[in-house]
Amino acid sequence: MKKILILILFLYILTLFQASFLIHFKIFREEFFSWALNLVFVAVILINCFTPREERSGIASAFIGGFFLDIFSENFIGFHVLILVAIAFFIKFILRKHVRIPAVGRA
Amino acid sequence: MLIAFFAVLNLTAINKEVKNLFYLISSPIQKTLWGAGDRASDFFETISEIKNFKKEADELSFIDTLRCARVNEELKLKIEALLAENAELKGLKKENETLRIALGLGLEKEFKLLLAEVIGKDISQDTLLINRGLKDGISKSLPVINQQKALVGKIGEVYSNYSKVILISNKESSFDAKIPESDIQGVAMGKENGKLFFDLVPKEKEIKESDLVVTTALGGIFPSGLLVGEIGKVFRSDVEVWQQAEIKPAFDINELETLFIIVNP
Repeated sequence: MKKILILILFLYILTLFQASFLIHFKIFREEFFSWALNLVFVAVILINCFTPREERSGIASAFIGGFFLDIFSENFIGFHVLILVAIAFFIKFILRKHVRIPAVGRA
Repeated sequence: MLIAFFAVLNLTAINKEVKNLFYLISSPIQKTLWGAGDRASDFFETISEIKNFKKEADELSFIDTLRCARVNEELKLKIEALLAENAELKGLKKENETLRIALGLGLEKEFKLLLAEVIGKDISQDTLLINRGLKDGISKSLPVINQQKALVGKIGEVYSNYSKVILISNKESSFDAKIPESDIQGVAMGKENGKLFFDLVPKEKEIKESDLVVTTALGGIFPSGLLVGEIGKVFRSDVEVWQQAEIKPAFDINELETLFIIVNP
């Protein structure tokens, strides 16, 4: 529970930072980089890559991050959630089936 | 199940209430971050400009230096001429202001305006979030301008305390515009990322670079005479029936801090 609360706070601050601060820099306004340098996307992908496969915080982070992105964007609520949850499941699937790293994956 | 949940959320008014609640909680932080981001980007842009200038100066050869000296002389003369013109224009500006006051043609007299502060820019680009909403009497499609009477966009989604401004460069934006100098009519269409095009202009009409584009009352979206921007590159093709031209918007998105909503367009 504590982990989820920290995730909510962290992703909320990240979304605000992206929407109100980074948007002033030219590179973040370019079509490609606005996606590639989206801090919430990067954070969710990293969380999913580096948390144990059995843990649910990866999927939760995708849900929370997507929700915040939807709140601060023009899209309908659920647009980014579905994209990020799909990415999270995909990463977990790849890690479970094809990647064996001794240090990662042990709960 | 997740999709069904989001479908219900989006099809009911809860969606707007949820967004409004988050904007209400976040607006103080967003305002601070918006200001800080503005200052930080200005700082880094200045540094990069200085670097570019230094690089260009280092690359200059002796001949270039001589050429520069000649150009410098010419520019000095130009500056003198411009200063004289500037002084004349200042006088005219003062006279214009006096006349405006005397005739009651000030911006606030021309339109009923409502001041709004920008508190964020949408991640999906070309929309702004402002601190005025239903409670302030804002409704959808109202025109939004800046202090210089340049058109910024129109109101999109309206929440209780906040609204979204769809910028004229948004891909959903299209409205009638004209070049008053040559009376060429066309349609201004948003192309995303701050880009805007003047489209559907007959090929036989001659559009010149730096021509000013203003709105027309056609279509009833915006009042006529609001500055949209100036013409950039013109695209003409023998195959096409219409010609296109790039419009450089009259506002800089980084400098948008306060806006005016025209309540009685």
